[in-house]
Amino acid sequence: MFLDFARALGGSSLSIWVQSHLWVTPLLQSIHIVMIGVVFVAILMITLRVLGRVGTDETFAAVWNRFSPWMWGGIGVMALTGLVLGIGEPVREASAMSFWLKMSLIVIGILSALAFGRSMRPLAYVGDTQQFSGGAKAVAAGTVVLWLFIIFLGRAIAYDVEVWGSLHLG
Amino acid sequence: MDLPGIVQLIHDSALSEWLRSSLKAMPIVEAIHVMTAATVFGTILVVDLRLLGWPGTKRSFSRLHGELVRWTWGAFVISVITGVLLFVVNSVTYYGNTAFRLKMLALIFAGVNMFVFERVTGRDVAAWDTGPTPSSARIAGALSLTIWVSVLFIARWIGFTKGYDFSIPDNVNLDLNFGQ
Repeated sequence: MFLDFARALGGSSLSIWVQSHLWVTPLLQSIHIVMIGVVFVAILMITLRVLGRVGTDETFAAVWNRFSPWMWGGIGVMALTGLVLGIGEPVREASAMSFWLKMSLIVIGILSALAFGRSMRPLAYVGDTQQFSGGAKAVAAGTVVLWLFIIFLGRAIAYDVEVWGSLHLG
Repeated sequence: MDLPGIVQLIHDSALSEWLRSSLKAMPIVEAIHVMTAATVFGTILVVDLRLLGWPGTKRSFSRLHGELVRWTWGAFVISVITGVLLFVVNSVTYYGNTAFRLKMLALIFAGVNMFVFERVTGRDVAAWDTGPTPSSARIAGALSLTIWVSVLFIARWIGFTKGYDFSIPDNVNLDLNFGQ
């Protein structure tokens, strides 16, 4: 079903425009990669604050308020650039197991960031890493690993058959 | 031996042969390169924005710099190792690729900018550690930001301009296949 939709999308005027203007894909991919740096390091900084490795002279709320707008803004730009990139090569994306796993993990990553921010934002003790339970620290560290895996899957789309073998959907 | 000869020697090496024949290794090497490049850029972005006075200058620059520099350098070292492996795979075409040469030039500029900052501008950091940054530090931050964004853009352009000096299996859809 998705592949049929992707084939139809590939014949749309927007898809053909992206495909026929060869500067569009590299430009959007470049912006996408810059945003990976912004989002990943914003998440890394928040996580390191939870672990008590950076910013312990500041409250968690101050660190969250500084980096979370970059995280959400970056995710927004990545969603837009990713959408146009997907429209440009819909069959390649829809037939890649890495693409669907990446999308699933992004949903989990966004939901966990929303839940984490909502539950942790009121915390305001300067320098006291004990305010975070072992569970909260594990979730924060797990979030970094999750986003590293998302980055891997983004690159693995080009090698889908090599990586997934018969699980490739094409 | 001249430089093109060395590049050809790298291309003909056993490591290069193995990486070319083992396409399972390539997505891992490429992905680690992207992860570490993103970490280098992101951590430098935080420091550069602090130099530019964003979101403010009250927090100690030395402390912020000290907290992030180990992440920047750690990621940079891994990025260089994976970058060398990517070069080894396709060395002859990388060597002749203009975007690749521009990226190397941009990295040298980034290094010079950092060196000048550490040795000249950053020497009197105690005077502005928790206050407004001097214009020389702001210029260093703006230059660094511009150079590192350029590095990422040029790096992505390499994928679309370099070509390959080996055959790509039909089931692997690399950048250059786009639009063909």
